[in-house]
Amino acid sequence: MSDSTTITIEIDGKSIQVKPGTMLMDIADDNDIFIPRFCYHKKLSVAANCRMCLVEVEKAPKPLPACATPVADGMKVFTKSPLAIAAQKATMEFLLINHPLDCPICDQGGECELQDVAMGYGGDVSQYDEGKRVVNDKDIGPLIETEMTRCIHCTRCVRFGIEIAGLQELGATGRGENMRIGTYIESALESEMSGNVIDLCPVGALTAKPSRYTARAWELTHHDSIAPHDCVGSNIHVHTFRGLANRVVPKNNESINECWLSDRDRFSYQGLLSNHRLRDPMIKVDGEWQETDWNTALEKVRDTIADTKENSGSDQMGFLVSPSATLEEMLLLKKLANGLDVSNIDHRLRQVDFSHQNQQPKFMSLGLPIEALDTIDAMLLVGSNPGKEQPIIAHRLRKAAKNGAEISLINHRDYSLSMPLHCQLTESYTGLVSLLAEVAQSLPGFNATSLPQEAKALFDKAEPGEDSRRIADSLNNKKISAVVIGNQAINSPCYSLIEVFARALAEQTDSTFGYLTEGANSTGACFAGIAPNRKLGGEIEDRSANTTTMLSEPRNLYILHNVEPEYDFADPVVAVETMIKSDCVVCLTPFISDDMKIYADILLPIAPFVETSGSYINIQGKIQSFKGNTPVENTQARPAWKIMRVLGNLLHIDGFEQLSSADVLQEFESELSAIKADNQANITEVCVLDSVDSKLLRSSQVNMYRVDNITRRATALQKTPAGQEDAVHINSNTAAKYNLNNASRVRVKQNSTAVGMPLKIDNSVADNSVWIAAATNVTKKLGPMFGVIELEVD
Amino acid sequence: MRAFAQIIKSLFLIELLKGLSLTARYFFAKKITIQYPEEKTPMSPRFRGIHALRRYKNGEERCIACKLCEAVCPALAITIDSEQREDGTRRTTRYDIDLFKCIYCGFCEEACPVDSIVETRFFEYHFENRGEQIMTKKMLLELGDQHEKQIAADRKADAPYR
Amino acid sequence: MANEVCFKNMHLDRPWTLETYQSSGGYSVLKKILREKTPAAEIIDELKTSVLRGRGGAGFPTGLKWSFMRRDEPGQKYIVCNSDEGEPGTCKDRDVLRYNPHALVEGMAIAGYTIGASIGYNYIRGEFWEPYERMEAAIEEAKAAGLLGKDILGSGFDFDLYNHLGAGAYICGEETALLESLEGKKGQPRFKPPFPAGFGLYGKPTTINNTESLASVPEILSQGGKWFVDIGKPSAGGSKLFSVSGHVNKPGNYEIPLGTPFRELLELAGGVRNGRKLKACIVGGSSVPVLPGELIMDVDMDYDALMEAGTLLGSGGVIIMDDTTCMVKVLENLSHFYMSESCGQCTPCREGTGWLARIIHRVEKGQGEMADLDRLEDIAEKVGGNFYKRQGGRTICALGDAASMPVLSFLKHFRKEFEYHIEHKRCMVRS
Repeated sequence: MSDSTTITIEIDGKSIQVKPGTMLMDIADDNDIFIPRFCYHKKLSVAANCRMCLVEVEKAPKPLPACATPVADGMKVFTKSPLAIAAQKATMEFLLINHPLDCPICDQGGECELQDVAMGYGGDVSQYDEGKRVVNDKDIGPLIETEMTRCIHCTRCVRFGIEIAGLQELGATGRGENMRIGTYIESALESEMSGNVIDLCPVGALTAKPSRYTARAWELTHHDSIAPHDCVGSNIHVHTFRGLANRVVPKNNESINECWLSDRDRFSYQGLLSNHRLRDPMIKVDGEWQETDWNTALEKVRDTIADTKENSGSDQMGFLVSPSATLEEMLLLKKLANGLDVSNIDHRLRQVDFSHQNQQPKFMSLGLPIEALDTIDAMLLVGSNPGKEQPIIAHRLRKAAKNGAEISLINHRDYSLSMPLHCQLTESYTGLVSLLAEVAQSLPGFNATSLPQEAKALFDKAEPGEDSRRIADSLNNKKISAVVIGNQAINSPCYSLIEVFARALAEQTDSTFGYLTEGANSTGACFAGIAPNRKLGGEIEDRSANTTTMLSEPRNLYILHNVEPEYDFADPVVAVETMIKSDCVVCLTPFISDDMKIYADILLPIAPFVETSGSYINIQGKIQSFKGNTPVENTQARPAWKIMRVLGNLLHIDGFEQLSSADVLQEFESELSAIKADNQANITEVCVLDSVDSKLLRSSQVNMYRVDNITRRATALQKTPAGQEDAVHINSNTAAKYNLNNASRVRVKQNSTAVGMPLKIDNSVADNSVWIAAATNVTKKLGPMFGVIELEVD
Repeated sequence: MRAFAQIIKSLFLIELLKGLSLTARYFFAKKITIQYPEEKTPMSPRFRGIHALRRYKNGEERCIACKLCEAVCPALAITIDSEQREDGTRRTTRYDIDLFKCIYCGFCEEACPVDSIVETRFFEYHFENRGEQIMTKKMLLELGDQHEKQIAADRKADAPYR
Repeated sequence: MANEVCFKNMHLDRPWTLETYQSSGGYSVLKKILREKTPAAEIIDELKTSVLRGRGGAGFPTGLKWSFMRRDEPGQKYIVCNSDEGEPGTCKDRDVLRYNPHALVEGMAIAGYTIGASIGYNYIRGEFWEPYERMEAAIEEAKAAGLLGKDILGSGFDFDLYNHLGAGAYICGEETALLESLEGKKGQPRFKPPFPAGFGLYGKPTTINNTESLASVPEILSQGGKWFVDIGKPSAGGSKLFSVSGHVNKPGNYEIPLGTPFRELLELAGGVRNGRKLKACIVGGSSVPVLPGELIMDVDMDYDALMEAGTLLGSGGVIIMDDTTCMVKVLENLSHFYMSESCGQCTPCREGTGWLARIIHRVEKGQGEMADLDRLEDIAEKVGGNFYKRQGGRTICALGDAASMPVLSFLKHFRKEFEYHIEHKRCMVRS
């Protein structure tokens, strides 16, 4: 039944209809015909250099590589003929002559492609008795261990760098037997996806450094889970060894992370093994910390809550929730808050501008499936550095950019995104709004009448430059386009203005409007109503309370869920002070820290990601559930949803009878299935810009390896160049203006705080702007992420 | 006729004498019973007694923590923890054999790529308390050090047949 | 009948100058084509009539190669000249560049015109400094005379030509590795398909020809394809440059018609040195099978006759070895060369060439064993197929084949010498 679009070929006597031009390997894979391979990888370009996939093709004078041979009509292929097998065995022999026989100490042993294929195609005794090649190992950073003698030169890692990471860090030098894979000049890999080369390497040349020599492949137990550090919701397999997480590898999901995983998701598991784990419930008695049992601790919490409610009123209670908490935990917390008549509950910990909170959409989402980013034609990203914040999103955008999509950025700093960019504009955080106004201004026929007053004023003042025009044109002329605002826009003091302009631009250019949010479950938090102005289910009501108001007037009782105030808030100093002033702080946390011992009063150990079950709603509105692994030995930690259920029971609130986390969700099944992530909203209320002319302004991005309490304790990630990012960045103009050209350290003053930090002259930062990473050990002593700042030579 | 033969046999106690002759034969034959523990039977170099961990001549422990013995052990008697030692080599931090579980099959010895774990020809040992049946890495290495000469000789004797 | 095409001007004074070249009718063909706007198909037909086969070694018909290019499709196209003459025993292109650079310039301009390329690159071997300077001077002269550049002679045809000096890798003589190198990447062959005619330099359609092929084009078009084919054989027209080296009295480059008997070429080169006996000869550069003296003497120097005799014409690097030559030593030398020059991309070649070289080295030093000889054949076959069984190699480019052919042929014809080395731990010839 062959028509004009398909041709018929024959593999091992089996007749197959195929599309012309397809490679033999793909057809064999689709039809469950096994052809051994090393260099071939479905997501990488074809290199055809390992020669393991040689097959016999009728009438060809020599065996041909299946990965690089396009099919032709009537082709007859033999994958197991004597010639094919002989060719494959010959290649195997060549691969093995210089491969060390160190399988017993190789971490890849047991899951090694070379081992597997050698079982089928290798000889038992080698006829090679010359000396074997030895290659010096390279130090390529704290995440990846090298054992280059084992390398079989398949160049998958090299192609990954060029094609997927967009950053060629590994390459081949030397000829023939002296060909070496390496960085040429020794340096740590900087790609935020570098860990993928561990999976790609078919042998043990590149292995994971943090889990080196700890467990063999056959000892590991697989658990499916969802990565908890960004809004993408990458699918992962957690491999545990005797109940402890030993490594994390990607689980293939073509619509989300494909077969890739960011380094943060891959190596954050180390945080779970930290010795900061809180093992038992603890209470502070007369300033002394005491370990106690669950009953005592929970009764104490109940008493404190009941007390506060009775004596000071519900308004004196505040719930602060991590945006990476599971949906189940959020739902129960909201129920608890509702039962106690508490409206002070929030997950927007680093947000400072809440002017338009009552007009925001029911669910915040990307507005389109993550997969659809591949085929987008134009995109404007505002206040976002996806490479560091959502690496998988950056990978998708890179794919689009390689196919000609025009990706433009408006940011506080010229972030290098290792992809061809259409345009990148930078300004301080107040200037950023003006840039958006300029883009709007340069859009032909832009209708400014619907803009709020404050925005209209900016619009009228705008004098567009060439670049704003190019951005406007690209949004206007390209077929599929989107305007997306990222973490830094959401945390900016001008959030509402940015959103107004971004929405207007999207609307008037027929583009999709979307958000890239913080944490793994911001969308879930909207649904669960973890905000004073949201009801259970996401419905918005008119309220003015928010995180800032909750902190500015200290409450008597705070319940912190998975939050560390010294890192997780816009202004860590204010947050910690507020906690100290409060009568009682209950922390539901997997970790204990010295800071926490100061401000907290009751510590309840909760089971973190991997150990608890739950669900996340990712940025495209997809709900993904995961199971919990067995709890770690020697700890009393319990899944947080169970703790909340018991608290509900203790407080005699209805609706806390769930027996499993799935039960929690079941209650909301119909609402959850009806989630419409369309971002529909009409915003008229915006913030008023403070006059900050001629002042130096700080802007920040949360250090990519310090986004939450788990990553902050992942030791290997902390050792990477990105994890150690802890400097003040200003451009040379600003440095000249403030006479800081020759300074190596500066004293940074913000509000009433001051710390000394190293100074980096970095021309990627906008004029009059200071860029400092947030949530680091130094910046936890500084004021808000965005604001007026002073620098002087230290 | 048969009845007559029967009478003769019983009259002259022929069957009794037949039986007694067997007794007499063994009574005067060379004895095979030995007086254990004063005397001992000869032993094969392949005898599978208590385990030991061996070292190289320079004192470096042979074991590289490949965990193949742990994987092959049919009785799940071996438990190994491993890590990277300071010099970058792969080493065990724990090597336990539970002698209650062990069935002395010798698979661990077969699986070992570096001839580290071996079963020695020593089988006389006892425990007095629970928990003592766990042979730790330290104990196994000590055993190896103590009997290295014998162990090496046994391996050598068996080498031609491997 | 010698020196009729590429070496036509050899007898003239300073043949590399534009003046000399033009004095013997140079650039008249290019001018005529541009003036008359000769259709490309006509030029290709003429080349097909001439049966000009690629002079780089593979012998692919040039006319056919040019016809693969879609001249009228939009987009940049390139013509690339492969002057990376690295084949041991071959030095003919060097002399074309040194003594007749303008023929190459004209040939490339004509090729550019025919295939629709406005840019040409001449990739010159790294060690060829003098030829590079001659070529640079020739391009300058041609530019000054308005024979290169924009709108040549008012015809509307643009053609820019650039020289590129390689960095000394043998593998960059392979056409796709050459393209990679030209693009500034590591010189490694690309797998084919896609062929350069579809996806070549910078991903654009590209034609790559040998220096000698391109330099022959003006003369063919000037005298006619019929004239050219009549010089040589019906299956391979024209005359060819042979670089005769080794144990001869007058080593050098000789242009003789294809089909000339080997005996005549040897006489032209002054015969074997010191009147010794011819022991063996590699006729087409080091990558082709060796032939013993008694087999080669009566063979004609053309593609078919040499194929029948059990070797290949290759690039025309004739290496003559007299009876004082140790064949084991020669093979050791050759194998070492292929080990050093393998690009390292494909497994069989990367690992196999080194293995071969080590075994041969051992055998040469008298430390081999008889089983090594069978092992050598086995490895050679696994790397580069078997020429005698008409089996192709296992690698992306032909370097694997090239490395295995000497091994198989030396063992086929001179196995006794290898056995002697192993048995007596010394050389048969020099002892």
